[in-house]
Amino acid sequence: MATPARELLQESAHAQDLDSAVEEVFRLMMGANCAPAEEHVFGNDETITAVIGLAGAMSGACTLRCGMDAALRMAECMVGVRPAELDDMVKDAIGEVCNMVAGAWKGKHPVLASGCMLSTPAVVTGTNYQLHMQQPEFRIDRSYRFEEHAVNISIVCESIQ
Amino acid sequence: MSDINALIVDDSSVMRKIVERALRQAGLSLNKVYEASSGAEALDVLKSEQVQLILSDINMPMMDGLEFLRQMRAQDLAPDVPVVMITTEGSEEHVKAAIAAGAQGYIRKPFTPEQVKDRVLPLLELV
Repeated sequence: MATPARELLQESAHAQDLDSAVEEVFRLMMGANCAPAEEHVFGNDETITAVIGLAGAMSGACTLRCGMDAALRMAECMVGVRPAELDDMVKDAIGEVCNMVAGAWKGKHPVLASGCMLSTPAVVTGTNYQLHMQQPEFRIDRSYRFEEHAVNISIVCESIQ
Repeated sequence: MSDINALIVDDSSVMRKIVERALRQAGLSLNKVYEASSGAEALDVLKSEQVQLILSDINMPMMDGLEFLRQMRAQDLAPDVPVVMITTEGSEEHVKAAIAAGAQGYIRKPFTPEQVKDRVLPLLELV
């Protein structure tokens, strides 16, 4: 009898898979290192958060949150020109980074690779806000260091089919 | 190989710029680069413009990349033009679906310019 998706997903090394996905995306698309770091709390700083929904075998979301300088630098690394301000191009870039991290992470697990779809990105900017999901099956919260910037990336699993 | 016209289809303007840059880094001599942010927009481009290469995302609002491919084939638009999908959806099932819809190549995001070169150049040499 095939192992249920719930059992397979609970057993996986999700945090390691996320670290690997983040490293791959930053290296290939930005030529930059992005490694796990000590937990970072953004507090009252203005930040930008991208959200990618996950649906199918797993329902949930992948979020990427960083400060404004980090966002401008990521966009610069991707397109080769430093933006003057947090404009639509920068928001697009952060959304795409989150999209690729979510895709690379789910691609490391056979159940999710074919059975879980990604939404188009949503991007939020502001200060002092929190994202909440009720009673997730599991969640992974990681902080990373990209040059001198902190980047927080989370995978929240709301339910498993 | 003479200069070619390319159509890049992706709802992200950043990704469209990155793909264009990857094509140039791969050594392609591009005459014109047309951009579309959805499958529907891409079909409109193909009704009026001649291209020799199409690169398309899959997950897009309004009309996704697979439906764009199906519509392109159904309307006999750019029948001999190679299509390469560039997408975060990299499972075997997605690749099979793209090939079944009419794609000749598949690149998973994130990607390197070398991967673009390896997938695209052989297709252009066949045309």
